[in-house]
Amino acid sequence: MTWFLFAGDMLVMAFMAGLAVWALWGSSDEAVEKTAGIPLDDERDDA
Amino acid sequence: MPAGERYHDRVAGWLTGFAVLWSLLGMTAGVYIAAELVWPTIDFGQEWLSYGRLRNLHTNAVIFGFGVSALMATAFYSVQRTCHVPLFAPGLAWFVALAWQATLLAGGASLLAGWTGGKEYAELEWPIDIAIAVVWVCFAVVFFGTIARRRIQAIYVSNWFYGALIIVIAMLHIVNSLAIPVTWSKSYSLFAGAQDAIVQWWYGHNAVGFLLTGGFLGMLYYFLPKHADRPIWSYRLSIVAFWAFTYSYIWAGPHHLHYNAVPEWVQSLGMIMSLVLLAPSWATMVNGVMTVAGAWEKLRTDVALKFIVLSLAFYGLATFEGPMMSIKSVNVVSHFTDWTVGHVHSGALGWNALITFGTFYFLVPRLVGAELHSTRLANWHFWLALAGVMLYVLAMWGAGVSQGLLWLSLDEIGELSFSFKDIMASMAPYYALRLVAGVVFLSGAVLMAINLWMTVKGRVIVRVAPPAVAESAA
Repeated sequence: MTWFLFAGDMLVMAFMAGLAVWALWGSSDEAVEKTAGIPLDDERDDA
Repeated sequence: MPAGERYHDRVAGWLTGFAVLWSLLGMTAGVYIAAELVWPTIDFGQEWLSYGRLRNLHTNAVIFGFGVSALMATAFYSVQRTCHVPLFAPGLAWFVALAWQATLLAGGASLLAGWTGGKEYAELEWPIDIAIAVVWVCFAVVFFGTIARRRIQAIYVSNWFYGALIIVIAMLHIVNSLAIPVTWSKSYSLFAGAQDAIVQWWYGHNAVGFLLTGGFLGMLYYFLPKHADRPIWSYRLSIVAFWAFTYSYIWAGPHHLHYNAVPEWVQSLGMIMSLVLLAPSWATMVNGVMTVAGAWEKLRTDVALKFIVLSLAFYGLATFEGPMMSIKSVNVVSHFTDWTVGHVHSGALGWNALITFGTFYFLVPRLVGAELHSTRLANWHFWLALAGVMLYVLAMWGAGVSQGLLWLSLDEIGELSFSFKDIMASMAPYYALRLVAGVVFLSGAVLMAINLWMTVKGRVIVRVAPPAVAESAA
C-alpha cells in the first residue's frame, strides 16, 4: 500500500508539474492577455 | 452576429430574485434553530418546528436554494457574455430556473414532514433526488450548449469552474443518492457501513468543494474583473489553480472520517490532500487581491467591491482553517465540536454569502439599467454582515475549542473530568452570542432584499447585445 500511495503521489506531482509547464509556456502572452480581457469587453455599447 | 440578437438575461434576473428569497427563508430558519438552542421549548411540541427538521431545512435552503440559484443566475449571465452568444435553448433555461424552485419547495416540505435519507446535505428522499438529477442535466445542456456555440475560441476561466461545478455535482449527487426505495418517503442507501460513510463524505466534502468553493470561484473570476475594471492579475495562475484545485479536492473527503472505522491510509490520504489544497486556494486568494491592488480607491465608493474583497479575506481564512482542521492531531480536538460549525459559517457566510451579495449589488442594477436604490442601505448591510459573521465565528470558535479541550480532559485516575451535560450547560453564553450574530447577519440580508426590490420595482430587464465584432481567435 505504501508503494501504491507513493506511486500515486508521484503521478499527481508529474501531472501538476506538466500542468505548470503547459500553463506557463503553452500559450503566447498575447493570447493569454486577450483571454484574460474577455469579461471587460463582452457587451455592445450601442445596443 | 444575427441582427437583433440579444442576451437572455430575464432568466438570470428571476433566478437572482429566487436566490434572495431563499436567503431570507434559509437564514430565518437558521436563526430560529439558533434560538432553539438557547430556548429549547420554542418548538412548542410541534414536530415540524423541531431542531432536527428545521436544521435540514436551513442547510438545504441556504445551499441549494440561495447558493445554487445564485450560481445558476450568474452562470447563465456570464457564460453568454464570455462566449459572445445568447444562451443555448433559452426555454430549457427557464425550465431549469422554475423546476429548480419547484423541486426545492417540494424538498423543503418533505423535510418538514420528516422525510429524510439521513445523509448530511443529502437528506432529500429519492423522488426529490430524481427531480434534482433531471433539472441538473438540463442545466448542463444549457451551459455546455452555450459554450459549444461560442464565437470566441478561448473558454474563459470562470466557465471552467462553472463547468466543473456542473459535472462534479452531477456525479456526486447521482452516486451518493443511489438507493433502494421502499415507500414514496423512504429509501435505503445502496452502500452500507464504512463504504457508505466514505461515499457520503466523498459527496459531502466535494459538494463543499465544487459547489461552495468551485462554483463561487467561477462567480469571482467573472465578476471581480468587472468590478475592478481590469483583467485578473495572473490568468496563468488562475488556470494552474483550477487544475490543482480540481485534482486535489476530490481526494480530501476522508478527513471527515478521522478516527472512524475506515482504513488508516484513507484517513491519512484525506489529510495530506487537504493540506495540498492550501496551495491552489491561496493562489486564488492572492490572484484576487492582486487584481484589486491599484484599484483600492474604488473601495471607498463601490460597496459591491467591498463585499467581494471582504469575501476574499474570509475565503483565505476558511481555506487556511480547513486544512489545519484536517490534521489528525488538530481534528482530535475540533471534531464533533462547534469549532466545525464556526469553520463552516466562516466559509458560508464570510465567503459564499458576501461574494453573492456583492455580485447582486453589481448585477441587479445592470440588469434593469438603473442605479442601486440606496448606497447607504448597502453600506449598512456591509457592516451588519461583517459584524454578524465575526460574532458568529468568534462565538463558535470559543464554544468549539472549549468543548474539545474539556471533553479530552481527564482526572488523576483517567476518568473524564467533566460530564457532557455540564460542558453543554457552559455553552449557553456562546449560543446566545451566536443567536445575536445570526439576527445581525439576517438583518443585513433583509436590507439587501428591500434595496434590490426598490431598485427593480417598476422596471424591466434591459436587452443587451453581444459585441458587434466577434473575436475569431484567442
